[in-house]
Amino acid sequence: MSIADKENNPRGKIIETAEELYENAPCGYVSFLSDGTIYNINSTLLSWLNFSKEEVIYLKRIPDLFKIGGQIFFETHFFPLIRMQGFIQEINFDIVRKDRSFFPGLINVKEISAKGKNPLTYRATIFDITDRKKYEKELIAAKKKAEEDSNTKAEFLSTISHEIRTPLHAILGIGNLLNKTHLNDDQKEYARILLHSSENLLELVNNLLDLSKIEAQKVKLEKRTFNLSNMVEMLQQTFKTKAEEKDISLQVTLGENVPQELSGDPVKLSQILTNLIGNAIKFTKKGSVKLIVENLETLKTKSLLRFKILDTGIGIPKNKLNAIFQEFSQASYDINMEYGGTGLGLTISQKLLQLHKSEMKVQSSKGKGSEFSFDIWYKVIKNHAPPKDKSISIEDRKMFKSSNVLIVDDNPTNIYITEQFLNEWKLKNESAESGLQAIEMIKQKHFDLVLLDLHMPRMNGYKTAKKIRALKLEKPPVIIALSASDRGEINYKLRKAGMSDHVSKPFKPEKLLETLVYYLQNPAHQKIKKSSKMDVAEKEEKKNKKEIASNKKEQKLKEDQKPSFDVSKFVKMANSNSLYLDKFIKSTLDAFILYEHEFLDAIKANSEEMIEDLIHKSTMSIFYIQANNLKEMMEETKSTIAKKGNKPGPLQKKIERMCRRI
Amino acid sequence: MSTPKNVSVLQRNNVKILGNGTQPMLFAHGYGCDQHMWRFVYPEFEKDYKVILFDHVGAGHSDHNSYSREKYDELLGYAEDIIDICEELDLKDVILVAHSVSCMIAAIATSLKPSRFSKLIMIGPSARYINDENYVGGFNREDIDDLMEALDSNYLGWSANMAPAIMGNPDRPELGEELSNSFCRTNPEIAKHFAKVTFMSDNRKDLKKVSVPTLVLQCSQDIIAPVEVGRYVHENLQNSEFQILNATGHCPNLSAPEETTLAIKKYLASTN
Repeated sequence: MSIADKENNPRGKIIETAEELYENAPCGYVSFLSDGTIYNINSTLLSWLNFSKEEVIYLKRIPDLFKIGGQIFFETHFFPLIRMQGFIQEINFDIVRKDRSFFPGLINVKEISAKGKNPLTYRATIFDITDRKKYEKELIAAKKKAEEDSNTKAEFLSTISHEIRTPLHAILGIGNLLNKTHLNDDQKEYARILLHSSENLLELVNNLLDLSKIEAQKVKLEKRTFNLSNMVEMLQQTFKTKAEEKDISLQVTLGENVPQELSGDPVKLSQILTNLIGNAIKFTKKGSVKLIVENLETLKTKSLLRFKILDTGIGIPKNKLNAIFQEFSQASYDINMEYGGTGLGLTISQKLLQLHKSEMKVQSSKGKGSEFSFDIWYKVIKNHAPPKDKSISIEDRKMFKSSNVLIVDDNPTNIYITEQFLNEWKLKNESAESGLQAIEMIKQKHFDLVLLDLHMPRMNGYKTAKKIRALKLEKPPVIIALSASDRGEINYKLRKAGMSDHVSKPFKPEKLLETLVYYLQNPAHQKIKKSSKMDVAEKEEKKNKKEIASNKKEQKLKEDQKPSFDVSKFVKMANSNSLYLDKFIKSTLDAFILYEHEFLDAIKANSEEMIEDLIHKSTMSIFYIQANNLKEMMEETKSTIAKKGNKPGPLQKKIERMCRRI
Repeated sequence: MSTPKNVSVLQRNNVKILGNGTQPMLFAHGYGCDQHMWRFVYPEFEKDYKVILFDHVGAGHSDHNSYSREKYDELLGYAEDIIDICEELDLKDVILVAHSVSCMIAAIATSLKPSRFSKLIMIGPSARYINDENYVGGFNREDIDDLMEALDSNYLGWSANMAPAIMGNPDRPELGEELSNSFCRTNPEIAKHFAKVTFMSDNRKDLKKVSVPTLVLQCSQDIIAPVEVGRYVHENLQNSEFQILNATGHCPNLSAPEETTLAIKKYLASTN
């Protein structure tokens, strides 16, 4: 059968048959049945594979040409796809030759419907893309590296901001406390500047953190009920002084039909508005700054609100209008010199609006002022109960007097600051400098609430919380995490570890107070939360985890090295299995022999730190074997260490005595 | 949990309710695709049952923001979602039809809440994919790494992430014309994580906890779940029937929907 028979071709007759076109095409052809069995294949592909036709036809299935990963991919992705859309394009498989070497191939497949006696079949072309693959690999590597670099930078930014926040917490806290002492006028001014500057620094660091979180897509919208006029009023109060200082009028107008009770993310909205009003005041020398909220459209349960911030400030030149939304860019270098700022505020606001599926619009002319505006849909809440008053009432004070709070933080400065606030609110408190210490204290005595630092050496906050929960106390304390991390990131872990809420450091005193009042008033809150629908799965998860854990119990006990000499407990733990019982005894013995050596080494090295570590380390073992004498001695030793200026003599004796006991 | 509060269970798992019957029949798709996997099977049951389809979080049109590495780091996370769906819709007497990895997800779900389920159909189950001492799962660890490579090198996964960028409408992806290979697109990172969780899982101990009567449907030639693997599942379940289909491959619901449907119908009729 000739399809090209060009008699008139000046170079002579060219004959090309369909068969030749098929067999020697510059690509592989293969046809297969619906179970993958190959019933036709062209010479090109056979020569690439090094197979003869007889070795393939009706003997091999299409996935046989792929590596094992490709076969799984074929079964789980490729085949379903082909059945669904009747074709498949540009899928990459490594194609295996007869000698098991392979080349990258690109496959296109078409489904040929059953017709008459012909069953459903598939036709595929295969291209050898060895060269292309090399380029692609380079591109992917470059993309990966760029992403990694970017992540590293973001992580660095986040870490460093984090690191800065911790000492800043101390500066702000102490500054606040200092401000409350009797100071002379000079000192008052110094303290004011100290606070002002550290607040600015905190804002900058927070902005950097926000930005890096948004970039890493870690920021999500929350849904909460809030009162818009309260928020707007708060904003007005916040900026009142600043505006008065500059002699600018600050006006807030809430349109008549603007709903008050909304459901949405008040924190993000307030952040955007704070930024815009702050900017407006900053860049306005005289005249006014206005915030106007209008209701553009109301549907059944939601309203589209427009927020406008107008000022009579310096304005923005037309050619800079786009640039102002980019990181670290302000309209000009001089602006930065004169007005300061990082140029991050608008970028963050714009990105927060993107989360709301909205965007910021700006109109401005140089010298006349600017108008920033954005629209957001909010769900409107009807019949909303008024929020609770958050200040300390007389009842709260009474409650505070009968409550007991434990502060757990490895950093004594942090403890000190928190203590000062709790003391000021007349709230009884004690402190622990490690998770272990906290657990010991909780075992001895009831605490209503634990303020727990998450980042502690040895036993971190999550572990500590889990262990506190594992004590199964009759009246378990409410556990509130206190850390420099952002709540969103750690929410899941918090709840898993049995913590109820989170206050971020450096904390605003009001925020801490609010949280304390709430949970002390309602210690059962955690339980209420637990029984809600959202947590059913979590409960089930725990239940199941327990079951799974029971399999690993024996192993875990060995790892933790906390078996007991107490036979009754032992038998219980070993599930009456003498083999395990034996193992427990042996491993406990081993542990104590090791402790003895380590204690003696620690005395030789005369290292209080080592001894303290060892006491921590052995606490659990001692607890399990219920060696109360030993426990007392340990505690005595610990308090001996704690007293400063102690001569090594008595300490050494104590430890030697302790070791003999062991 | 990690699910954003504003996303309901039904949105999270892209739940679709069809059919005219009252007894619920819940179809759980396997690894690699979404509820479309059942397109040739579920219409056969619409007349007599209430058919419920859904996508596992991370697959199809589920809410990808609800994906959390922590929750879905074990099959339990997916099992909880199935229970969520049953509770949300207050489903009782459920016939749970599961394919591939969903068989073990279903095993966990039914053992956690046996009272909600009346029957379980497992299509191509495997309690453990990787060989272990005397147990034959069919794969080695290296094979799974090879799968990761195959996933990495394919536009199928990529296209989910890159389609909006390629179409030039990053803000309004719905305006972009459909790329080819539009079905079963998944976020490549989620696909890889799900693959790891699937192929590294060992659910042999979960089988014994399943009390719901179960039909194990086994394909004749299935490299993902070979016959020995299916038989192992059958032998370790408390109350199961075992049937080998003529269909080959891992997806009889797509390659031999008539045979698959018939087997399910027969089982349901015989056990009623």
